[in-house]
Parts: sequence; structure tokens; C-alpha cells
Amino acid sequence: MSYRRKPLWRILLDEFRRVEEEMSRIEDEFIRRIKEAEGMRGCITPLHNLYESGDEIIFTADMPGSSKEEIDLRVGENYIRIEAPCKSPIRGERKYLLHVELPVEIDPTSVRARYKDGVLEVVARKRLRGFRIRVE
Amino acid sequence: MKETYEGVEIVETKPIEGEGFIVIEGFPDVGLVGSIAASFIADRLGMKEVGYVDVEALPPIISVRDGKILELIRIYRKDNLLAILSDVPVPASIVKPFSRELMNWIQSKKPKLIISLTGIPEPNRLNIDKPKVYVLASNAELAQKLYEATGIDRFKDGFIAGIKGMLLKEGVRRGIDTILISAQSHFNYPDPGSAAEVVKYVSKILQIELDVKPLLESAEELKLKLRDLMRRTSQMMQGVQKSRELERPPVYL
Repeated sequence: MSYRRKPLWRILLDEFRRVEEEMSRIEDEFIRRIKEAEGMRGCITPLHNLYESGDEIIFTADMPGSSKEEIDLRVGENYIRIEAPCKSPIRGERKYLLHVELPVEIDPTSVRARYKDGVLEVVARKRLRGFRIRVE
Repeated sequence: MKETYEGVEIVETKPIEGEGFIVIEGFPDVGLVGSIAASFIADRLGMKEVGYVDVEALPPIISVRDGKILELIRIYRKDNLLAILSDVPVPASIVKPFSRELMNWIQSKKPKLIISLTGIPEPNRLNIDKPKVYVLASNAELAQKLYEATGIDRFKDGFIAGIKGMLLKEGVRRGIDTILISAQSHFNYPDPGSAAEVVKYVSKILQIELDVKPLLESAEELKLKLRDLMRRTSQMMQGVQKSRELERPPVYL
């Protein structure tokens, strides 16, 4: 039996693939949980994103098939909760349900929201506590 | 020298003979713009399945539609037009060798033009009613010709990550006319509106009639149907540093 040492790039590539497989397994588990929860509750978890920009947080959720009048949006100092009907001509009426814990506290009275082209956008000011320091 | 990647097998179930092919690829990435646009084009033109791409690194799953078993990456044809459609994102770790192998096969078909379709991430997409479309060509003459024929803006500065970038790079290296048509798009929400703009430019370039009205009318349903593919694609995009497309290349002078 002959033994040939693997070149370094091959070792690195194999390692990269191993890490990718592991990540893929974790991600698959994450998606499985979302799909199982959707199946159990009969609700849709919308695709969503949360950004921090200066003094604000910007949250968006992709919720096609709903309407701004029917979106029940509730906001606390550290969470956003959305419940809304999702009307699909093929699959009938279902429901969007999403509860997101925020990474920073917000001022719930500062929140503004709009629903455009099937995307809900929520913008809120962060609650900032602290002192102003003079820079020397 | 780069080692041949043996994990890709391209099978022609109906022999693809001839030359001067125009190849459209719609692998999933930003906003699934390429997938939506390429699938729409294949559907509207009544293209027929003529082959598939088997990739060793893909998960062991099959796609079933209306009781019919489908390959995950399929090749469609009508006359001299070929379309490559995929139900799965290509894993980040094999994007480079996969692109090379795919390009080897495309090159063997003596292509006239390769058209990659994609979305370009636009954080402000919600405020844009009509996404702008850009083209990036593998050579300056081709870019000029497209500009004169369609008035399409040129993609000037930035990064293109993933399979779209690799196919374009291979196109430049091999001297094969390759273009990337991209439209401003949501990063990780399916964006049929952006795909419709891309389709309009493809129809101009190919000089074929493609009415995007049915695509826009089914936009909400499409967005719902494509949520799961978008989730998987978002994860793949992290692996190929797709966020780089939001950056500008360094300029020192």
C-alpha cells in the first residue's frame, strides 16, 4: 500500500468543508425548528432582519399577502411582536406570527412603522442612558 | 496547477448538439432574483428539460413536483437558448471548482454568450419603486455593444461574490462573452419586482417578447413559496462573503 501525503491546500480545503458541514448541520436544525413550529401552530414565521443604525434600530419582516390595516404590531422596551393574516390565493388564509427579542432597549413611544410591497418596516429610537463626557 | 474537481457530473438526457448557444444561469443568491428571472424565462418560452448537473457535495435529497421526480440542478433548452436552473444554492466550499467544471461544459458547447442573472443588494430597496438594472460584461466591446442596444447602465465599482462572480471571471480568462445582469434588490427577501426588471433587459438583449405582467401578478405567492429557499440561500451567502457586495473596492490613488 502506498502512502502519499496530502498537500497543504487539500488539508485546508477538507477542513473548510468539515466546518461547512458542521455549520450546515446547525443551520438545518435551526430551519427544522422553524418549520416544525409552523406546522404545530399553523403559523408562518416571516423572514426578518434587525439592524442597528446610530441611535435607531430598524426591523423589517417580509410578509406578503397581508395588509397594513390587519397587522397587529406590538412593541415593548425589549421586544417586537407581530400577528397578521396571510392571504394566499392558492393556500387560503393563514397567519403570520413573530416575536423578536431586541438586543437593546428601545423607547416604545418613538416607534414608527410602515407596510410597503409586502415588507413591514419598524423603526425605533434606542433608549440611551448615560452621561455626556467632555473630550479633551 | 488546479486539480480537476471530480464532484460534478453534467448529464445530457437529450443530446445538446449545435453551437452558438446562449446560456442563461439562475443559481439562487441575492433576493433569488436570478432564480426567479431564469425560471420565468424558461417557463414563458416553453423550454424543455434536456439534462442535469449532479453535484457530489449537495445533500442527498430529490425534488418532487406534481408527482414527478426532478434533479436539483436542471438544464433546459429551446433552440439555441439554454437555461440552468437550481432548486438549491451551491455550497460555498465548492463554488470555485464547481464554476470551473460548469464553465468547461459550457465552453464545450461553443457558446455565443453566457448571461448570469442576479440581484445587487440595496439596503434602501423599500424606497425604490423601479429597481435600476446594471450590466457587467467580460470585455469592453461587449459592454459598449449592450449599452448601445439597450441603454443599460454599466456596473462600475464593487465586488461580485459567489458563483456569478466566478463564472464571469472564467468568462474573462477563457475569452467567452459573459455578462452579468443585476438589479437592485432586497438582500435576503425574495424580490420578484427586481427579477421582473432583469427579465425586461434579457428580453431586450435576446430580442424576444417577454411580458412580465404574470410575474408581477404572482409576486406575493412567489415570495411565500420561496421563503424556504431564501432561508437556505441566505446561509450560503454568508459562506461566500456576499456582504462584500455592499462594500466598495479599496482605492489608493
